[in-house]
Amino acid sequence: MNGTLHDIKQWFIDLALVFRREMHLVVTDAGALIFFIGLPLLYPLVYTLIYNPEVVRDIPTVIVDNSRTARSRELVRNADATEAINVVGYATDMADARRRMNEKECYGIMLIPEDYSKWTGRGEQSHVTFYCEMSLLLRYRSYLQALTPLQLATGADIRTELISSLGAESMSQGATINAVPTYLGDTQQGFASFIIPGIIILILQQSMVLGITLLAGTSRDRRAANGGIDPLEIPASPSATLIGKMLTYVVIYLPMTIYVLHYVPLFFSLPHIGAAADYLLFSIPLLVASAFFGLTLQVLVKERETAFVVVVFTSAIFLFLSGLTWPRYATYFPWNILGDAIPAVWGAEGFVRINSNGATLSQQEHCFNMMWILAAIYFVTSYILLRIERRRICRGYRPSPAPLSE
Amino acid sequence: MSTNIGLCDTMRRECRRLVSRKVYIFAMVLVPVISALFFLTLQSEGLPLKAPTSVIDMDHSRLSHNFVRSMQANELVNITSESLSFHDAMDKLQRGEIFGFYVIPQNFEKDVIGGRDCTLSYYTNITFYVPGSLVLNGFTRMSVTENGEIASGKLASKGISDRLTTVLLNPVDVQVNTIGNPWLNYSVYLSNSFIPCLLQLMIMLMTVFSVVSEIKHGTSPEWMRTARGSLLIALLGKFIPQTILFTAVGYLIDAMLYGYWQFPVGHLGNMLIAMPLFVIASQSLGLIFVSAVPNPRLALSMASLIGILAFSVAGFSYPVASMYGAIGIFSYILPIRWYFLIYIDQALNGIPLYFSRLYYAALLVFPLVVPAVAWHLRRALLRPVYVP
Repeated sequence: MNGTLHDIKQWFIDLALVFRREMHLVVTDAGALIFFIGLPLLYPLVYTLIYNPEVVRDIPTVIVDNSRTARSRELVRNADATEAINVVGYATDMADARRRMNEKECYGIMLIPEDYSKWTGRGEQSHVTFYCEMSLLLRYRSYLQALTPLQLATGADIRTELISSLGAESMSQGATINAVPTYLGDTQQGFASFIIPGIIILILQQSMVLGITLLAGTSRDRRAANGGIDPLEIPASPSATLIGKMLTYVVIYLPMTIYVLHYVPLFFSLPHIGAAADYLLFSIPLLVASAFFGLTLQVLVKERETAFVVVVFTSAIFLFLSGLTWPRYATYFPWNILGDAIPAVWGAEGFVRINSNGATLSQQEHCFNMMWILAAIYFVTSYILLRIERRRICRGYRPSPAPLSE
Repeated sequence: MSTNIGLCDTMRRECRRLVSRKVYIFAMVLVPVISALFFLTLQSEGLPLKAPTSVIDMDHSRLSHNFVRSMQANELVNITSESLSFHDAMDKLQRGEIFGFYVIPQNFEKDVIGGRDCTLSYYTNITFYVPGSLVLNGFTRMSVTENGEIASGKLASKGISDRLTTVLLNPVDVQVNTIGNPWLNYSVYLSNSFIPCLLQLMIMLMTVFSVVSEIKHGTSPEWMRTARGSLLIALLGKFIPQTILFTAVGYLIDAMLYGYWQFPVGHLGNMLIAMPLFVIASQSLGLIFVSAVPNPRLALSMASLIGILAFSVAGFSYPVASMYGAIGIFSYILPIRWYFLIYIDQALNGIPLYFSRLYYAALLVFPLVVPAVAWHLRRALLRPVYVP
């Protein structure tokens, strides 16, 4: 009994020692500080600045007006007045308009046919054709959002006129059915407001994983230089080592998390309607799971510099796994399984709903629980990997392959 | 002749290095190819149709039931549930079960028949941009259709002919034609921009990595000796094998994009010309970083930072023209920006090479800048000092 108590006491002492040593290693390593402090501090600002103008306005557009009537000019004036369209000029014909599009002078062409105002005379429907350059989907979306109301408003004007010309005034007094859209979450339909809340979660996970793998690579470098032993490693049990390190990273990240999740949205007045208690509690399993995720991935890093090569590119992959840009229900299923294994994928989804949709923690319990489950899974994997590695060292293996010259 | 200047020796030495460690093949071949497969197979369909949505029918009339049924026929939304109240629907939305909901007010049928105004409202969770936008589109389209259907019934009852009814309902039809991507295929847009951008990231990282690892392990003096002391030969010898390898990977990606997946490509030949130029430009940018700061940590951080920011600042999703000027200008120091512009012209739109001439020229500028900073590297290579 006494022995067990002693073991437990020793475990906590080891934990404290690991914590102190790891903290020391972090604060004396400029590279780790760049990742743990500099990245979460600056990256959200840089990202938001890129997208901060939020919407695409006044896209240069060229008109080919074959009708040349007062009516067609009115249509062009109304088009010019929409948010998306900026009429930069008239082209004489389609060939001329295409040339200007090729020169990047415009990204859309509106073709008004010769018989545009035929409804006045013949009572027939007329067709306007709009050509949209498709290199950026956001431009297409802006155009579409301008053209649909333009078509409806122009139609309404003409309808009133036609009906009065038919002498059927009474019909215009029929019921009007209004349809009112409301935008939830990102009420301004801005680009930064949509992408940043998810990106900052990815930044938290990825910067932590980068820092952890960098520290692990540095430890392997030390081991390679000292005949297989890292002189700075505390000889503690695997569980004390892993939990001690995890606590170090989480403690460092707590202030960063408050800054990133609370202040960054405030700086740029991004959507931020969630309760602070909800999203801060939500972030804890994210940090714990990210730490163990990093401690698992570190097995891939054989030296300090490979951390960059192995980890950095995954940010682009994880962004698309998270369902921020492409909904997860329309994602090819094997990739969804991979996404399920990434803490930030659950983190981004849950945080966006808490932060932008005002969901409560209990409404996001699925994401919350999944992150705890991942934390447990990655603790086990990192535990197994650490034990395997220690056994190898005992057998006298050198884990880092000797560089070419040696 | 060539044996004298050591170019072949340096190249041979580099090839041996490339196969000596797994990390080179992993980062230079596996990462770009597997990521390309990831982006190309990410979507189970070109457009995410049938977004889960809900409807709150507070009227429960013949008209509202008909309307809900016709909603089910819309390709963009899928009414997965009926909600009892606004609160109920909002709860589902906050839980993430639905991306939007439609509200049919009380007395809808009564008002329509009685000729009184009424308001339909719909809510879309635009914070999930793609599904939110599609739900918005779907709901708007349905509202317009419903309005038209009711109005056409009224007009018919007044004795207006069908032909005239069509004109009255929609006198001007605006047809939007999407040049180059008529299917609105998201993958065409995503894969053509993000895969090369990821390639650029890996090229820059590996360029920096292969220089700093020589410095770290103290092998750089031997590298310079193999090149007979000439920095130019040393760099050429080191990077020509990598250029060939990366270009081959780039061509494999091109084959996937334009061959297997049949994405629009107007002038394949011009895209194939652009690839090696893009690879060399990216390598040059990496070399500029490592020459400016021959410190492993800083140079690799710089390459990572810029390589990742490139996904945003190169303007694939949000146009450079709409960014702040001081930010947008950074896109032009990125090879991917020029490659992306070449792709738009030569692959997507297939316009004459003439319009892209400046973009090709811009890619050629990158290697020309290298000599201006690379002299800095000589001292670092001859007297390698490793600062972690």
